[in-house]
Amino acid sequence: MASAAADESTPIPIDRVEQELARRLHDLQKPGGAPALRACMSNLVIFCDRKPLAEQLTNDIPAVVALHPARVLLLIGEPDSGGDEPIATVSVRYHPAAKGRPVGSEQVTLHARSRTAIDRLPFAVRGLLIGDLPVNLWWATPSPPPFGGSLLYELSERAQQVIYDSIGWPEPARGVVAAASWLSQLGRCRWCVASDLNWRRLKYWRRLLAQALDPGSAPGALDSISEVLVEHGPHAVIQAWELVSWLAARLGWQVAAGKVQPGIEISWQVAAPHGKIQVRLRRLADGPSEVRRVRLACRLRGRPGALNLAYAEEQRLAAVLEGIDAAPRTITVQAQSLAELVGRQLSDRERDPLFSASMAVARVLAESVLR
Amino acid sequence: MQGETVSSSLWPGIMSTATALSNPLTAGTSGLLPQPCLLVIFGAAGDLSWRKLLPAVYNLNVDGVLPSHFAVVGFGLGSEGDGDQWLRRRALDGVRHFSRRPPDDSHWADFARALFYVEGSFNDARAYEQLKARLDSLDQQFGTPGSRVYYLAVPPQVVPICVDHLKAAGMVHDPAEGQAFTRVIVEKPIGRDLESARQINADVAKAFDETQTYRIDHYLGKETVQNLLVVRFANSIFEPLWNQKYVDHVQITVAEDEGLTHRDPQTGEVTGSRIGYYEGVGALRDMVQNHMLQVLCLTAMEPPWSLDADVVRDAKVAVLRCLRRMTPKDVEQSVVRAQYIAGDVHGEPVAGYRHEVREYFTQRRQPVPADSTSETFVALRLFIDNWRWAGVPFYLRTGKRLPKRSSEVAIQFKDVPQILFNAQPEVPLEPTVLSLRVQPEEGLSLRIASKLPGPKIRIYPVKLEFNYSASFGENAPEAYERLILDVMAGDATLFMRRDGVEAAWELVTPILETWQTSHQSSLPEYRAGTWGPLEADRLIEADGRQWRIL
Repeated sequence: MASAAADESTPIPIDRVEQELARRLHDLQKPGGAPALRACMSNLVIFCDRKPLAEQLTNDIPAVVALHPARVLLLIGEPDSGGDEPIATVSVRYHPAAKGRPVGSEQVTLHARSRTAIDRLPFAVRGLLIGDLPVNLWWATPSPPPFGGSLLYELSERAQQVIYDSIGWPEPARGVVAAASWLSQLGRCRWCVASDLNWRRLKYWRRLLAQALDPGSAPGALDSISEVLVEHGPHAVIQAWELVSWLAARLGWQVAAGKVQPGIEISWQVAAPHGKIQVRLRRLADGPSEVRRVRLACRLRGRPGALNLAYAEEQRLAAVLEGIDAAPRTITVQAQSLAELVGRQLSDRERDPLFSASMAVARVLAESVLR
Repeated sequence: MQGETVSSSLWPGIMSTATALSNPLTAGTSGLLPQPCLLVIFGAAGDLSWRKLLPAVYNLNVDGVLPSHFAVVGFGLGSEGDGDQWLRRRALDGVRHFSRRPPDDSHWADFARALFYVEGSFNDARAYEQLKARLDSLDQQFGTPGSRVYYLAVPPQVVPICVDHLKAAGMVHDPAEGQAFTRVIVEKPIGRDLESARQINADVAKAFDETQTYRIDHYLGKETVQNLLVVRFANSIFEPLWNQKYVDHVQITVAEDEGLTHRDPQTGEVTGSRIGYYEGVGALRDMVQNHMLQVLCLTAMEPPWSLDADVVRDAKVAVLRCLRRMTPKDVEQSVVRAQYIAGDVHGEPVAGYRHEVREYFTQRRQPVPADSTSETFVALRLFIDNWRWAGVPFYLRTGKRLPKRSSEVAIQFKDVPQILFNAQPEVPLEPTVLSLRVQPEEGLSLRIASKLPGPKIRIYPVKLEFNYSASFGENAPEAYERLILDVMAGDATLFMRRDGVEAAWELVTPILETWQTSHQSSLPEYRAGTWGPLEADRLIEADGRQWRIL
């Protein structure tokens, strides 16, 4: 796939970064070869707070920029490891695209190893952004973005999009409240949107649920849901949470009460126009960190029944009716790595009102269990 | 939910179309959603199906954008042995050769399980009964709601036959019923002239309402063609200049390096030929009447007030209606047609068109048409008589066996006044040109004048380039993928409406009639591997302009 130029670990003074990048991009040009292209759709600022995570991200970045060529500014903020200056290193990667012509994209890594150096990161970033191109901030820490405090606000001041991943947040309910509150403030900003990769992972679940429960194909089902059970793997509770929040937001459910059994289940009583609904998120002990099954009890053909959604096989999500002899409805699911999710999200800059509405409901759900 | 309850439907078998009732879970999602259905490809054994349609559907499946209940059924003659297995082998071969993604085992298995074939002749009523029975059975198997998309990948003369039989066999739903939908995709060419186009449209209309009819022009599914609207209406700098005050002229070029006969590069043996279709059709019907006029419409149309299908199509038809009709004298002065003769393309000697025609018919032991006058090249000068474009010529040229494959729309802006940097009339500045490349390297470039570094003022033209694949990196979907998905979603924006097709023929038919009455036994010629005949150069040079070098 991509190959990197040498000398990637040699520190460069921050004021020499542009020259060094230009030199390395120039070196990509092979004598007599097709002209090397420098592709850049946006600035991608990535913040993470530990070195192992940065190494993992460094492995993912080539796949991200293959989908969405960008100048990458990878910021590693590790307080307490010494030094007041962020240390910069640069690299240029290229991959064959554009009819075999090499396309280069650049990465600047800024390693801040003290609180002082971390506070200086936004200043360094301002000087390294390419003008007139969108700025995307990928908040790649395992905690909700608003917990990043002033650093988040400074890094996102010029960003058109903040991308984060709610998978594995340690305190889901508090994280949801904080994220929803932050999102609601961000919603007043005209030019900046925030995107949760977990929401993107739910795309196929939402699509199949919408098709399977369509009033045209399952008349009366939406109006008679009495129970919702979402089973999820470890660390995926917020993914499940967002799924039920979406249902609640779309179907006008009102939250009555919530309860947490730590590590086992979160449940709510919600009121729908047709009656009460029991909603449960059940954690499975092991397996992939994702939503694994959704079961909705509802009336089918006038009788009590249920709809089950689960993977029928790898890359195939199926909806099966309980109590009715019907072929499963299935859709193909494209497995997406973290890099693919980010790469595609970078190009999706539209505000998603469904996400905003769902997170507003998610917050109410969270507050009900924190009371 | 909000709509009227339909009591009869749950997944197996027939159910109401999803669009009949509002679905709160899909409300607010951007764009229309493809609906569960069976895609029935008429002529599934043919070239289009093999090269384009089956690979396109495979890619849609890999992308996970197909509806939850979906299957493909091929119909026609030509299978060998077990029809289903034959189509699966044929599709796999097509995917291997032509798909933007190679097949992978799991996706392929998933796709192949939903591929079926019904062998039958298009004019055999019993074959339609068999097809209907198979489709009904697949409804049960796949839980599809009885909705159908019929893709008529068949020659134009067969279209009315298929449509009549579909109607007679009760395989077309009335769109007013609000039950399962039926849509039909009709491939170009739609007719040979205005009269036959009207006839085909009338034939199709006997069975299908206009809202059910999707006349496909794959050019409209290309990213760069769609980008035309975005460039024009999403950038504030272009639209104020997009008129007769600032635009000197527009050139639309569709150049192809291929001829009509394909040969194995190693052995020189003929591997395929379009002569059978092309002879008697020619470049004007094959390229100008559809692709190029559609591109012209997008280039010249007024801003539509929304992106709704009919609003966009109204704006396009308005352009066609303003195209100046040609008298025989206009045809003589503003249209050039020609044929390629033997020459050299990419360093390989190639035969002339008439030689290929003789070879084709001789090999098939069919009578060789005497002195073919089918044009392989055509160049035109058109005028759009409306306020925006009054007096601005639109030059169109297309041809086979040109030096390279290249298609673009180029907007050449008017010269700056001949003072200051443009004061020397003998060395005029190169004009500013915005070029939108449709293929092969989709993108756009803007040529502007810039100062060469140094103490003197020396002006040099430079190009600001945007390249789709370099900038966006992605493996963009093929045009057919987008268009098939649009049909399944019921979005007709990128399809030609009946009045649009007929308006295009209204322009082209007088040219064809003039040619027919001229009884010209030989056409101007150009050597394969050149940019067309001298007559085409004279056409534009008479206006003090030149064809662009691509």
